[in-house]
Amino acid sequence: MRTELKELWRFRELLFSMVEREIRIRYKNSFFGFFWSLLNPLVTIAVMTVVFKFILDNPMESFSSYILAAYLPYMFFQLAILDSAQSVIASLPVVKKVYFPREILPLASLISNFIHLLLALMVFFVYRLVLWAIFRGPAPFTSSILLLPIVLLIQLALTVGVGFIVSALNTFYEDVKYITAVVLYLLFFVCPIMYFSETVAAASIVKKYPWIYAAYHLNPIAMLCTAYRNVLVPSRPVYVKGAYVDPIPLDWGMLGFTGVLSLVVLVGGYAMFNRMKWRFVERP
Amino acid sequence: MSEVMISVQHLRKEFQLSHSGASSLKTMLLWWKKRSIEQFVALEDVSFEVRRGESVALVGRNGAGKSTLLSLMARVYKPTSGTVTVNARVAPLLELGAGFHPDLTGLENILFNGVILGLTRAQVRERTPDIIAFAELEHHIDAPVRTYSSGMLARLGFSIAVHVDAEILVVDEVLAVGDFAFEQKCYSRLEEFRAEGGTIFSVSHNPAAVKRVAERCIWLKRGVVIADGPVSEVLPRYQADQD
Repeated sequence: MRTELKELWRFRELLFSMVEREIRIRYKNSFFGFFWSLLNPLVTIAVMTVVFKFILDNPMESFSSYILAAYLPYMFFQLAILDSAQSVIASLPVVKKVYFPREILPLASLISNFIHLLLALMVFFVYRLVLWAIFRGPAPFTSSILLLPIVLLIQLALTVGVGFIVSALNTFYEDVKYITAVVLYLLFFVCPIMYFSETVAAASIVKKYPWIYAAYHLNPIAMLCTAYRNVLVPSRPVYVKGAYVDPIPLDWGMLGFTGVLSLVVLVGGYAMFNRMKWRFVERP
Repeated sequence: MSEVMISVQHLRKEFQLSHSGASSLKTMLLWWKKRSIEQFVALEDVSFEVRRGESVALVGRNGAGKSTLLSLMARVYKPTSGTVTVNARVAPLLELGAGFHPDLTGLENILFNGVILGLTRAQVRERTPDIIAFAELEHHIDAPVRTYSSGMLARLGFSIAVHVDAEILVVDEVLAVGDFAFEQKCYSRLEEFRAEGGTIFSVSHNPAAVKRVAERCIWLKRGVVIADGPVSEVLPRYQADQD
């Protein structure tokens, strides 16, 4: 793995220009161009606010912010995995002609999507600041925001690891990307995105068997969604079943477990990719 | 003798032939039903050396293993056994548009291809005017390459390859496209490249092109080297071979 990493470093210029190319291509033929990257989260914020405030009639203050805090990172995970699944196959003509470390292809998809996540988070912060300035609500964020880099790094490690695995497998069996799409779609409902981890804790089955709450957070994506919500927005009582329940503080042990698991996925995924990458050009 | 640039020793390359075609989970899961994987030997005990300043042409019929050999030299394939050592930077002339992204402009593709071939982005930017001038694409360089004709793509590809300071140029039948004037320009650029001490490794079906570019010729037949020597000796034997 050391030699592979050295080789990757030697080709860093290629990685940079591939990321640049991915970002350019995405909105190449569109009128608004790069602004779509900012427009997407803006539109999402607008629709969510309308739905939660005026249709679901949720009494929690700036409820949509709490949804978005988990929704934006999940969207990154989903898009990055689906993009990287395609990355090697889409570049097969070049892969067959020139040598370069093949992991650059999924990495470029992952990094360009990560840049979009950072942009979306910036839009999110601006939105929070505007809310605070106009409606004089509570502080837009607390000191827990300082933990955001840690959560981002854990998610990046996990996403890159899964991206390696999916892109290597999809190069041989194109069914993998359809399976991945279905799994990601279902994962959206299994993770605390449209609801809270406090909702899970308050569920009657969890009240009966408390271990389910811990088991639920063994899913690294679920834990990351909870962690993002903990660091991005101030914790406040959550409206569940017609009453407010106290917020559950961030469980460091669980987050540590997710961090270790993500690192294992990253190293294991990279090793797997490296074992398979020489056969990409010879795939039957 | 000058230094060895390319060294190929007892090279063997096998491929797995699959007759079922589609690569899907189904074929993997149903492997017991239809196990039609065959070994196919593309290259068998190939050995040769190319020294600095030489120009070698590889000839052989379709399926003789020429492209496989080029891919092994480019490190795209791993040898089944034996070794390929290339002691210099190689610039492969990419197959028509292989390295180009259709939605990007010519300019953006120059940057991207230059980096793939081993330059830094600053170096590519420095050379971009020369590349555009050589390819004669001043008026189209800001258009997406999907609007280019095949001749324009070939010109751009050739121009990038000869501007990346490679010591070995791998030419895979690309000179057949482009018009007569550009072909002449390419030949004179190749001669210049050789005068500067560059090494050329080319693959061609066209005897006239082989005679013009190379002085040494390697004849490959069904994955085996039949002859290796001066063009004047090997080429007539290859042309006479009807089998």
